[in-house]
Amino acid sequence: MSSVSHVKAPATAPEDGGGSAAPTPGRPPVSLNRRRVRAGWLFASPALLVVAAVTVFPVVFSLVLSFWEVRLEYGGLRLGSPTLGHYEALLTHSEWYRALAFTLGFTVVSVTVELVLGTLTALVLERLGAARGWILALLLLPWALINVIAAQLWSYLFNGTYGAVSWLCEQLLGTQPDILGQPVPAMAAMVVVDVWKTTPFVAIVVLAGLMLLPGDVYEAAEIDGANAWTTFWQVTLPQLRPIVAIAVLFRILQAFGIFDLPFVLTQGGPGTATQSVAILGYRVLFQNLDFGGGAAVAVTTAVMVLACCLLFLRVFRAHVDEEGRA
Amino acid sequence: MSLHRRTLLTGAVSAATAGLLSGCGGADVDDLLARAATVPDEPAELKWWVSEIPSRRGAVVADEIMRAFERRHPRISVSKINALSSSDGNRSALATQLAGGSPEPDVYLGDTTWPAQFGHSSLALPVETLLADGFWDAYPEALRSSSTYRGKVYAVPFFTDSAYLFYRKDLLAKHGLRVPRSWEELLHTSRKVQRAGDTESGFLWQAAVTESLTANLTEFLADADADVLDGRGRAVLGGAAAERAFALMAEFTDSGVTPRTVATYEESDAQDAFVTGRGLFLRNWSYAWVNASTPELSRVAGKVGAVPRPGFEGGGRSGISCAGGWSNFVNPGSRHLGAAMEFARFCAGEEVQRLLAREAGVVPAMTAVLDGPEARAAGDPTVLRAADLRLVARPVQTPYYPQVSKALYTPANEVVRGTLSPAAGVRAAREGLRTALEGKAL
Repeated sequence: MSSVSHVKAPATAPEDGGGSAAPTPGRPPVSLNRRRVRAGWLFASPALLVVAAVTVFPVVFSLVLSFWEVRLEYGGLRLGSPTLGHYEALLTHSEWYRALAFTLGFTVVSVTVELVLGTLTALVLERLGAARGWILALLLLPWALINVIAAQLWSYLFNGTYGAVSWLCEQLLGTQPDILGQPVPAMAAMVVVDVWKTTPFVAIVVLAGLMLLPGDVYEAAEIDGANAWTTFWQVTLPQLRPIVAIAVLFRILQAFGIFDLPFVLTQGGPGTATQSVAILGYRVLFQNLDFGGGAAVAVTTAVMVLACCLLFLRVFRAHVDEEGRA
Repeated sequence: MSLHRRTLLTGAVSAATAGLLSGCGGADVDDLLARAATVPDEPAELKWWVSEIPSRRGAVVADEIMRAFERRHPRISVSKINALSSSDGNRSALATQLAGGSPEPDVYLGDTTWPAQFGHSSLALPVETLLADGFWDAYPEALRSSSTYRGKVYAVPFFTDSAYLFYRKDLLAKHGLRVPRSWEELLHTSRKVQRAGDTESGFLWQAAVTESLTANLTEFLADADADVLDGRGRAVLGGAAAERAFALMAEFTDSGVTPRTVATYEESDAQDAFVTGRGLFLRNWSYAWVNASTPELSRVAGKVGAVPRPGFEGGGRSGISCAGGWSNFVNPGSRHLGAAMEFARFCAGEEVQRLLAREAGVVPAMTAVLDGPEARAAGDPTVLRAADLRLVARPVQTPYYPQVSKALYTPANEVVRGTLSPAAGVRAAREGLRTALEGKAL
């Protein structure tokens, strides 16, 4: 029933080295295995080199920068001595904690809202017939927009002088709201834009999961007398958990790195109310030209987001185990 | 497999470290200056990093400058790299490129707030020995000061931005009011015209959490005769004068003369509101004159005047303007240092400065050009009155200027929003400045 398997798959490739020299009946000799392994590495090496160049090198480069005194001199970057000073400065600065609190809060609120709205949208879409394609296409429009352009469009809407949202609020409330100029409305505006843009992604992922669910389970539930509400909670949702987990993981990764929205809408303001860790990293690295400090912000952020995702996966997996769906 | 992972990881770390170390050319600055001292005889192709220069009559000003240089130096060709429009965007792009040792651009246009930071980070060539004796006599003292860090000059003048008070001539005439001579009078005038329903906002300016607010705050502090740093570069912001400046910013929004949304305004936002007829007064840089006076861009074209900013009643100073603008920096990694330096000097010279007065919607840096025939023919009050301004420099002579600026604009923004009292704002700014100047701010 569950798509999460806990049965270890049999090894498909022989282990390299450490085995007995004596050939095992029915298996290729060890020397042949080694040749195959070497050939495998040889063929895979161009791809591995590309991956190393575009993925591993920048990550390691950031790590190195974050643990070294970095100076800019005529001719380029120069490394001084190893130091923990960048991390010490970061972890003792209240601004980093404020940026972290905003980023965490934004991530939790926006991902939760998007998950609820996305699941509801997917349930509606599943029941639609011919119109589903058109509605899906319409829903995908916000998701297809480039982030920075979407943010700029919303900044026009929220603009206190001529923005349509500000005008609408003024008509309804009688006073001109200062949406992006006050901390709570500015944070709420950011969540609104993110939900508008990303809910379609969650909806499509969940819809894909819904369409793969076996129909016989629903028939069994109907025979057992389960109503729609019970069916959703007891049948649909448990089966959707793996796909929901994937959607949540993607969203946590994206939301934690939020940069475009505060950069375009508020520049991290008012004050530092909407300064995310990504904005802070940008400022430290590109405005202050502090390469070591900026790298430390990047590394700490990456470590935290990875930890969050791993924790989420572990909790989720344990939850599945408890329900005996291994 | 664990052995392979370790090998891969070690390899990546080694490669990263080697990459870092290989980027360290360790070039000797004396060698660079020797190369920059002579204009080469052999052909050279220069790249100039330049953003769009506002134009009065549709000419592409940068192209005209490059062609003029090529006429003088037929063996050197210049092409441009179109830069971004924002100061921060340019800094990010240039810092990344130059820190990597790129030989291009050879010359780049940079903000007048950059020299200390770029000099400290070795992203600009020190050029004081490459400029003639008495070179700075032709330019404002504030520009020389902001271009210098620890006795070395890192920027060659090009054009300046000065702040003016733009006003609606038609609305003042309708109400029989004069152009305000003090901030108190501006508040009174604004309320009167607002009450009559002839304008939505009285005074538009910039209070977003960006460099724009630092420039505004620097001017208000100078109006009140308050110092930010002392002669030794220590934070001395405080006292009644500083509180007066912060209190004025709060009063603008408390009284409704300035909308609360000003806390999100940068230059373009305030200018947009003014040219669409939503404000009586506007504080903006000189380039706003061209935009406000061009009928295709402005609903209030022909109804706008510009004067130096007022001051406080009963003391203080008027006509204060933050020294802004853009100067040319020479990339120390350039392969054509001599030609690059010659181009930077050419842009600061009289021929280009007169060309700017004639064609560009900016204020030329050379003082003598401001009342020359080209400036008079253009009839731009922001150029003609530039010599009347009292230019004040922002506290830019520190490599930590971005942090210093942030220490000023963050509490100032809170004061404008009414979430911090003026006295608390001054205290927060002073503490922030101290931390920033020690290099401990993020």
